[in-house]
Amino acid sequence: MSNFTQIAEFGKELMSMDDIDKTLELVAKKAKKLVDAERCSVFIVDTDDNMLWTRLSDGIGRIVIALNSGVVGDTYNKQKAQIVNNPYEDSRFLGSIDNKSGFKTESILSIPIFDSKHDVMGVIQLLNKNNGVFDAEDLDRLVFFANYVSGSIELILMNEH
Amino acid sequence: MKYIKTYRTLANFGRELLEKKTLAEGLPLISMYAKNVIEAQRCSIFIYDAQEKNLWTTIADGVEKLVVPSDKGLVGYTLKVKKPVIANEAYAHSEFLSEVDKETGFVTNNVITSPIFNSRREIIGVLQLLNKETDFDDEDMKFMIFFSHYVSGFLELTNIFKEEDTRREK
Repeated sequence: MSNFTQIAEFGKELMSMDDIDKTLELVAKKAKKLVDAERCSVFIVDTDDNMLWTRLSDGIGRIVIALNSGVVGDTYNKQKAQIVNNPYEDSRFLGSIDNKSGFKTESILSIPIFDSKHDVMGVIQLLNKNNGVFDAEDLDRLVFFANYVSGSIELILMNEH
Repeated sequence: MKYIKTYRTLANFGRELLEKKTLAEGLPLISMYAKNVIEAQRCSIFIYDAQEKNLWTTIADGVEKLVVPSDKGLVGYTLKVKKPVIANEAYAHSEFLSEVDKETGFVTNNVITSPIFNSRREIIGVLQLLNKETDFDDEDMKFMIFFSHYVSGFLELTNIFKEEDTRREK
C-alpha cells in the first residue's frame, strides 16, 4: 500500500470529518490513488428504500440505483469484491449510464464495505485503471482499505441519524 | 442509547490511537478506553495466533504475556462461535476457565467478549472485559461489537507492517 505513517495520517484525517459527504469524498479520492483509477464512487446502502446512493462528483446531487442493479448491486448481493475488465461483455454492466454521461467504462473494481455486524453498508466502485486492468493485488489492497475506512463511515452514519 | 455521547466522541479516540505506531503501544490505549466506557474492572485484548493455535495478551505492565490455547475458556469459545459472549455468572458458564483466576489471584464475576475481525473477515483477536458492577447488557454488547470493528483497521495495519518488517529482517 504505502507506508504506515501515510495510512495512519489518512485515517486521522478521515476521523476529523464531520459529515458523510466529506467523508465519502475523501475515501473516493484516496481509493482512486491507491489503485490508479480514473474515477471512484462510494455507494451507501439504504435498505429502507432498497437502493444505493452516491454523491455526484461535482458535489451537489446524489445518484441512486436499485440494490439489485449493475456490478455495484451484484457486489452488494454477493457480498464479495468483483473485477470486471470487459464491462461491455458482462451482462451485469449498465451500459445505459455510459450512454447518458458520455463516459466510457473500460474496467471496474467493486468492493463491498462491511459494517460491524457484517452487513454490507456500502460499495466502493473504481472505474478505468490507468495503464492496464485491475488485478488481484488491486483487489487485496482495496479490501483492506474498505475495512480500514468502514468504522469511520459507520460511525458518521450512526451519529447523523 | 446508553453510549450516545461515547459514539459522538469516538473519533477523537480513533485519532489518538492512530498516533501509535505499534501493537504494543496501541493495545493498552484500546484496553483503557474500553474499560472506562463500559465501566469494567479489567480489559484484555487477546491476539490470535493461527499458526500456534493460541491467543496471547499482555498483562499488567505490558511485559509479561499470558497465553491460552485457542480452544479454551470464554475467549476460545468466542473464537469458535465467532460472536460476542456475555457470562454474567462466570463460574456458572460451562466454558469459563477458572484456572486463570487461580493463577492470577483475580476473582472473575462477569465477562463480556467480542471477536475482532480483519478485512477478510477472519478473527484476529478477542476483546474481553471483566467485572462490571452490574450485569453486562445489550447496549454493552452493541458497543463491544461496534468498538471491536472500529479498532480492527488499526490492529490489521500494525500487523501488515509487522509482517513487512519481519520479511525485511530475513
